Amino acid sequence: MSARESGRVKEAEKRRVLDDAARKRRARKAIEALEQDNFHEDPHADLVMSKKVPKFADSNEKPTRKKKSKSAEYYKMRFRKTFAQLVEEDASFRPDPPNYLSAQVPPSQFPDRYFCAVCGFPSNYTCIPCGARYCSVRCLGTHLDTRCLKWTA
Amino acid sequence: MSESSCYILDNGAYTAKVGLSTKLPKVVPNCIMKAKSERRRPFVGSQIDECRDASGLFYILPFQKGFLINWDTQKTVWDYMFSKECCPVNFNETPLIVTEPLFNFASIQEAMTEIFFEEYECQTLLRINATDLAEYYHRKTHNNECTVVVDSGYSYTYIVPYIKGKKYREGIRRIDVGGKVLTNHLKEILSYRQLNVMDETYVINQVKEDSCFVSQNFMQDIEIAKKKGSANTIVKDYILPDYTTIRRGYLRDVVKSDEDLEQQTLRLNNERFSIPELLFHPSDVGIPQMGIPEAVMHSINACPEENMESLLENIVLYGGNTLFPGFRDRVYNDVRSFALDHFDVNVYLPDDPLTYAWEGGKHIFRDPDFYSFCMTKEEYEEEGKALAFERFDI
Repeated sequence: MSARESGRVKEAEKRRVLDDAARKRRARKAIEALEQDNFHEDPHADLVMSKKVPKFADSNEKPTRKKKSKSAEYYKMRFRKTFAQLVEEDASFRPDPPNYLSAQVPPSQFPDRYFCAVCGFPSNYTCIPCGARYCSVRCLGTHLDTRCLKWTA
Repeated sequence: MSESSCYILDNGAYTAKVGLSTKLPKVVPNCIMKAKSERRRPFVGSQIDECRDASGLFYILPFQKGFLINWDTQKTVWDYMFSKECCPVNFNETPLIVTEPLFNFASIQEAMTEIFFEEYECQTLLRINATDLAEYYHRKTHNNECTVVVDSGYSYTYIVPYIKGKKYREGIRRIDVGGKVLTNHLKEILSYRQLNVMDETYVINQVKEDSCFVSQNFMQDIEIAKKKGSANTIVKDYILPDYTTIRRGYLRDVVKSDEDLEQQTLRLNNERFSIPELLFHPSDVGIPQMGIPEAVMHSINACPEENMESLLENIVLYGGNTLFPGFRDRVYNDVRSFALDHFDVNVYLPDDPLTYAWEGGKHIFRDPDFYSFCMTKEEYEEEGKALAFERFDI
């Protein structure tokens, strides 16, 4: 005779549960989203911003300025470096501790606080499949219907 | 050589504070924006005030993570700032003070030096950290020995201790939470809970500015926010701008019949104080870092012990986030509770925290040694960029 089993536990085992790595990936994505400047595409990406319109001078005098000012494009090409490149470069420019990387504060000594992913109030429970926090059955329902395991889609 | 005025450019990642030292500073958005309503025209800096419909603005920012990366954008915005349209200047006659982020990368520093001497043909240039200017201003008005400067801006919050006017590099701390994170988080939770506003960074930033406050007792405010009816003194409605009759949204008490409303509204409850709370608990959104008061203590503890007393007595806050109501009091209360009892704690919030560093530039220009901090065009042509690294302590 087989041992008695709880239906709820059996049910839970069937569900897909995100592993630790996937959860971390999600958390990292969420933090990256907080760093973004724009969420939508450039609405006029196809438009040329600075059209070279022929300029008609008011007078016939020749321009007196010796140096022609360089265009914005020139400086884009001249100093092109990504943030990651710059951080890497900094390791050789300022190799010893007081530098950009070392200035970041360490984690807090205080314990983390958890808030319901749905309503924002303090939460006591964790969603089994994805690890998000919730505070009540109602919020869990909303969470399962909307974001749980759908975030990465 | 002693000019009567100098040009000060506090080049922030979101707004630049700019102007001649003899005039009032202008706060100019340091970006180019594109609007959905006017397809033909990009709005550079303050030109956005001329835009009738500011919904769905698209930002092009010169800064990324607090560093100057997109030079073409920056050049366009600078050209605008130095033109007649904004704050005209003749660098042949006027010295320039320009601010840079702390620990600015070497190649960005080089580029700054080059562009101002060669492109804008500055005769006299001072590149400096904004926190240095703020510290100088505070020291000149309070005559103190040590200062802790807290600069809470768009990309970061920096905490910088100064001992006898010199920054103590070992004590510098950075929290990767600034106004941008707050706006993005607010945008995210509002979009999930109520109305999709993911494309409305500009409007939601205004919502944040108009309705958020720093809680003095977070858990107590949470309890208040849970209450229903008139017992809940926190919940408010925010009327969003429609750009026909309302140009900027506003906060209003909750009116019962929500269905009858014509305008689009957002109901703000715990969002009002849990957003600025991220500055005090970045871990609430999973950023594993200390909050501001704890980081202030961490920074002070890294300094020599004999300076601790003076540092705690002179904590200066500035930057956009310090404008949240209750910000100063919260920092004061938390630092007070962390610090040893026999030390005094003073936290200063200037009258105008946005332009505090700019004002500091005005004071440093009056310093009798001002020109010894600067670099001239002749020196640059003579000795090149290497001298800039020696002269400017960035």
